[in-house]
Amino acid sequence: MAPQLTCSAGRGSTSPPALHVHGLSKTFGATKALDAVDLCVGAGQVHALVGQNGSGKSTLIKILSGYHYPDAGGWIEVSGRPLPFGRPGDSRAAGTRFVHQDLALVRDETILDNMALGEGFPTRLGTIRRREAARNARAQLARVSLDLDPETKIRQLSPAEQTGVAIARALGREGDAVSLLVLDEPTATLPERDVDRLLDIVRATASRGIGVLYVTHRLDEIFKVSDAVTILRDGRRVTSTATAAITRPELVAHLVGRQFEEAAGARSSAPPAEGASLLNVARLQAGRLGPIDFTALAGEIVGFAGLTGSGREEICATVFGARARRSGAVWVAGRALPGGRPDLAVARGVAYLPPDRRRQGGQMDMSARENLTLTGLGGVTRCLMVRRRLEIAEARKWFEILDVRPRDGVNRSLGTFSGGNQQKILFAKWLRRSPRVLLLDEPTQGVDVAAKAELHAQIWAAAAAGTAVIVSSSDADELVGLCHRVIVLRDGQIAAHLTGRDLATAAISGAALGS
Amino acid sequence: MSVKRVNFGLDRFSGLYLWAAFIILFSILKPGLFPMMATVHSIAAQQAVSAILGMALVVPLAAGTYDLSVGATANLAAVIVIWLQSSQHWGVAASIVTALLAAAFVGVVNGFLVTRLRINSFIATLGMASIVSASQTIVSDNNQPVPPVSSTWSALTQQNFGGFQVVVIYVVVIGLFMWWALEHTPAGRYVYAVGSNPEAARLSGVRVNKWIWLSLITSGTLGGVAGVLYGSLSGPSLTFGQTLLLPAFAAAFLGSTQLKPGRFNIWGTVLAVYVLATGVQGLSFVTSAQWLSDMFNGVALIGAVWFAVSRQAGAASHPIWRMFRRRPAPPPGTPEPAGLDGEPSEVAGSPGT
Repeated sequence: MAPQLTCSAGRGSTSPPALHVHGLSKTFGATKALDAVDLCVGAGQVHALVGQNGSGKSTLIKILSGYHYPDAGGWIEVSGRPLPFGRPGDSRAAGTRFVHQDLALVRDETILDNMALGEGFPTRLGTIRRREAARNARAQLARVSLDLDPETKIRQLSPAEQTGVAIARALGREGDAVSLLVLDEPTATLPERDVDRLLDIVRATASRGIGVLYVTHRLDEIFKVSDAVTILRDGRRVTSTATAAITRPELVAHLVGRQFEEAAGARSSAPPAEGASLLNVARLQAGRLGPIDFTALAGEIVGFAGLTGSGREEICATVFGARARRSGAVWVAGRALPGGRPDLAVARGVAYLPPDRRRQGGQMDMSARENLTLTGLGGVTRCLMVRRRLEIAEARKWFEILDVRPRDGVNRSLGTFSGGNQQKILFAKWLRRSPRVLLLDEPTQGVDVAAKAELHAQIWAAAAAGTAVIVSSSDADELVGLCHRVIVLRDGQIAAHLTGRDLATAAISGAALGS
Repeated sequence: MSVKRVNFGLDRFSGLYLWAAFIILFSILKPGLFPMMATVHSIAAQQAVSAILGMALVVPLAAGTYDLSVGATANLAAVIVIWLQSSQHWGVAASIVTALLAAAFVGVVNGFLVTRLRINSFIATLGMASIVSASQTIVSDNNQPVPPVSSTWSALTQQNFGGFQVVVIYVVVIGLFMWWALEHTPAGRYVYAVGSNPEAARLSGVRVNKWIWLSLITSGTLGGVAGVLYGSLSGPSLTFGQTLLLPAFAAAFLGSTQLKPGRFNIWGTVLAVYVLATGVQGLSFVTSAQWLSDMFNGVALIGAVWFAVSRQAGAASHPIWRMFRRRPAPPPGTPEPAGLDGEPSEVAGSPGT
């Protein structure tokens, strides 16, 4: 076991640490998202923060940025001064800066204009002094070892350079007292070849005496760039250690916890021994995904696991046609399905539950009834007219089957239902078509435990009725409990095929992280 | 203005109350002039064209699309139908069909610009309005065509029907048909779904572009109908179309706050047309100021949109309304909100954790 770090100054200096978190807790309802977490980032140190989904990383960062208010008892110091909670402005004044995955850069504007979005242009008599602004911007970029023309448009930059610009902007001008830079998964959407470039920028930032808290899923980077690493699991700190004192297998063991012995989940049905192949995918490519091949049989539940940026987010949308495919072919029940045509996919019996309910899932200002029947008005239409009575009966029936509350709310607009009930209504919208292929993207994200169990029961029922189900989820436990087999993606490729006794949370995480 | 005060928890029918208020007010102010059957007949017939134009707008608006060219299209149809009769000596029926085909063609082009070339409908139809006006000048050579002498032509709208001119019956018939189509057919449901959330509609298998295109063809054709009827009712004019556009929009937006709040709907729009017209007519009895109707319609349009945006929570998510709401963007670096439903995104297991 690696020695625990004590919180002292970084790299032999006597100045206070950039960040000192002590006994920080945060409770949401009955869930303890953070449980007495300690963390210490020395000045000039790159400190990696790792943990799986739900481990408490985001909550910690949101407390740091002043978005969440922590439970009483814990405290945070930035460069030796206490950090007031709950106010983003105070957090900034204390010298903390954040670069999120969404860089908040305007792609069609120049570096210079994007820099000025943060702090304004230098002006004389109200006129922008562009040359001075350019000089400032160049100096700011140089601080993160970027040598770029400030008049370059953001979209002409490589992804790593864009992240660098966002970092340079966050660090501000020479005089700004920045103690701590928090990078929230800066490489999640970065191509592999760009990662090293970004890591150089991170090192350059730390070498100026700034503490860097580096949140990542990618284990390689931890060993490449960080001086120390803290691992969170289930809201608790598992360990904090110097990176040099921990091996990769140890790190994975800490991340995943003692789940190796866990038996394969309590699935209600056995996988079909032999079934018609309802979904065939060959050489499919889109975004960071592929080319990959896979098939799904009638009655089979196939899970897709993988980190953000592994291609997992693309899989369901691309098969369905919600997003365009770069190449490859999809067959549904032996018939080729062209790309980018959701209408044809629906007509051929493919159903797709998108991950973002509000943006893609439903018509929030239309009634639950109208949402339910949108995918198939044929069943409730007689003589060219949508029969209100049939439609209400149909909606009531599905409210009953899926236990949607309030039960008499079929005419209420979808947006007025709770998240779990909205998701049930959107499930019903597809289930009522008895689809051949059911594509589920994060099917239980943001729904409560009871609704989750109900939705899982419906997925099993659909599979038992002969539907081929594809589930893409960032929740490994869910996949283990739900699927007959799980395909793990890494860097757009299939990293592992897990079935039977091999199908366990630890195996999924291990394959996804690449250990 | 008047719409502001209507806030007694009776939003759905506020237009009816406003209408009653107008009638009572002007009956008191001008007892010998306003509360007459003649006034009813005259408002009903005069506003028939506006009502049809308003209904034309409802269709693309329901699909989340603007059609700013309906006024110009109506004018083009009126000029074509009269020019064919008086200068080319065509029959009434053939002239009407040709004018309506031309109007439908404008809709086809609008649909092409919006769905194929992906030009914002506001801009595409604004440009088309200008192009259509130019085409009208090409046809008419900018000379007001001579009114046709055929009695069939004027009887088309002016025939008496229970005291009302027959054009009022057309409003009812077209209204019934459009109401049926939008509220009771799958087509109408798809149109509303597209307007409510185009991406969710697309992912439900709805062919979004097809319905936007069809909605623009419908608005063009109905605009043509309005133009033909105007030509028969009021005679040739080179400029009436653009002056009817704004009141039609005011009616469609005000109508979306009525009867079925949050939805552009046919009867709400027709109601709004007549409420606004009653106001204008009443005011014109009280004072003869020339600027009254322009002022009234302008204030009514702004008031209707303000009313809809501020009163309707559900409408806030509609793409049409989003365009009108000035919401400051969050500053860069603002942390994203927690997961849906107020649950912490950590616990919900959202990606990116």
